Amino acid sequence: MASLFVPAKGGAWDIRVVGVFALCVLLFALLQLTPKQYRKYVIQFVTLIAGLYYALEFFWPISHVTGPTKGEAEGNFLTPSMEQISDWLTIIAAFTVGLGVINLSMVHSKRLTKGGNTAFNSLVFFLATLAMVVVGVLKKSHPNSLTSNLYQILFDGALTTLDATMFSIIAFYIVSASYRAFRVRSTEATILLITAVVVMLGQIAVGQALTRGIHSSTLQVLHFEVVRDWILTLANAAAVRAIGFGLGIGGLAVALRIWLGLERGSYFDGQG
Amino acid sequence: MHHANLAVQLLLPAFSLIIIITILAARRKNLFIRRIQGLSAIDEAIGRATEMGRPMLCSIGLGSIDVPTLQALSITSYIIRNSARFNTRAIVPVADPQIFPVAEEAVREAYVAEGRPDQYNPEDVRFLSDRQFAFASAVSGILYREKVAASFLFGTFYAEALIFSETGQQVGAIQVAGTQMTTQIPFFIASCDYVIIGDEFYAASAYLSREPTLLGSIVGQDIVKGLLLALIVGGTLLVSLNPVVGATFSAFLKGK
Repeated sequence: MASLFVPAKGGAWDIRVVGVFALCVLLFALLQLTPKQYRKYVIQFVTLIAGLYYALEFFWPISHVTGPTKGEAEGNFLTPSMEQISDWLTIIAAFTVGLGVINLSMVHSKRLTKGGNTAFNSLVFFLATLAMVVVGVLKKSHPNSLTSNLYQILFDGALTTLDATMFSIIAFYIVSASYRAFRVRSTEATILLITAVVVMLGQIAVGQALTRGIHSSTLQVLHFEVVRDWILTLANAAAVRAIGFGLGIGGLAVALRIWLGLERGSYFDGQG
Repeated sequence: MHHANLAVQLLLPAFSLIIIITILAARRKNLFIRRIQGLSAIDEAIGRATEMGRPMLCSIGLGSIDVPTLQALSITSYIIRNSARFNTRAIVPVADPQIFPVAEEAVREAYVAEGRPDQYNPEDVRFLSDRQFAFASAVSGILYREKVAASFLFGTFYAEALIFSETGQQVGAIQVAGTQMTTQIPFFIASCDYVIIGDEFYAASAYLSREPTLLGSIVGQDIVKGLLLALIVGGTLLVSLNPVVGATFSAFLKGK
C-alpha cells in the first residue's frame, strides 16, 4: 500500500498514468450509469471514506514515521501519504479551473455576439486572457529578457496595480461605513460611538497626550492608551472568543452532518 | 501536520457523539428554535427584489470546498428556492473554481425542486476570478450594472467584504450578511441591514428549512456549548482555588 505513494519513474510512471486515467474513465462511466436516486449514496460513501482518512490521521496516536519525500517526521501510519493526497486535490483543482474559464468564455462570447454596452468589456476580457496566456507560455518556453519584461508589465504592472487600487478603495469605504455606524440612533450605537472614540484617541499621539497630565498612579488607568488596551485585549477579546467557540462548535456540527450524510433540506436532499 | 493531543482525542469525539445523538433523537421530536432576525429578513429582502422587479445577488464568498462555503451554499439554495416562486432572478458570483460546479448544481437543483427548471440560467452562476480584488471588482460591477435590489453575503470573506457591502449600500440594495470570519463581522454590521453573528451562521439552514435533523443538530450544539462553558468556569475555579491541580488540568488540556 505504502509503495503506491512512492514517486515512480520510467515505465512504471507510464503504467501508473495510464492506469489512473483508465480508472477515472471507469469511475466516471459507473457514476453516469448509476440511477439518479442512488448517486447520492455513492457520493455519501466517497465523502465518508475521504473524511475518515483525515479524521484518523488527526486522531491516531503519533510517533516518528518516515515519509517518501520529507524523511523522518512526527505522525502516524497515515501521515506519509498526506502529501500525495494533497497533490490529488491540487490536480482536481486544476481541472476545475478549466470549468471556470469555460463558464467565463461562454458568458462573454454571448455578450460579444449580442453587442450592446457590455460587449466592449467582454472583448477586453478575451484580449486580456489571450495576452496573459500567450505571454505566460512564452515566458516558460522561451525564457529571455523580452518575454520576462512583457510578463512583468502584464502581471506586476497591470494586475498587481489594479489589485492595489481596489484594496485602497477600502480606506474610503471604512469612512462611509463608520459614519453610518457611529450615528447616535440608539443606546447601542451611542456605546459603540464612545468606545470607538476612546480606541481612536488611544491609537493616536494627540489622544494619548490629552491624558498624559494624569500622574497619579491610581488614576493612570484612565490614560486613553490603557483604556484602549483594556477594550481590545479584554472586552473585545472575550466577545470574539465567545463567537469563536460558537463558530467552532457550529462548524463541527455541519461537518459531521455532511460527513455522515445527515445533511438535509438544502442541496443534499429533502427529508422525505 | 497537526495532530490531536489526549484532551482533543477525548473531548472532540465526545462532543461529536452528543451532536449525533441529538440529531437522531430529534427525528422523533418537534423542536423549537428562537427567532433570528437576520434570517427572517431573507424573505423580506426577496420580497423587496420581487416588488422592484430587479435581481438579487447571492455571494458565497471566497471560500473553496469547505464547511463555511457549503453552509453558505445551503443558505443560497434556500434563497433561490424562495425567489424561484416569484420569478425573481438570482445572480451567484463564484470566486473559487472548485466550488463552481457544486454551486452550479446547487442552483440548478434549487430551481428544479421548486418545479421551475426553465428559470435556471447558467449565466447567472458566474465564475469571475480567483484573485481577491479582481473578484471584488467584478462583483461591484454586477451590483452596479444589474441594479441589484437585494444582496446576500454569506460565506468566507476577507477585505473585500466592505467593498461588497458598501457598493450594495450605494445601489440601495437591502443587504443580509453572515460570515464565520470574526474580523469581517464589524464591517458587515456597519454597512449591512441585517447581520447574523457567530454560530447563527451555522444555525441558518436549520432555521430556514425547519428539518428535524438540522434542528436536532442545533440542540446538540447548545449542549456542547454548555459543556464547554462548564469546562471554562470549572477550570477557572480550579486554577484560582488550587493552583497545583489547576496547573495539571491546564497542562492536560494543552496536551503537555
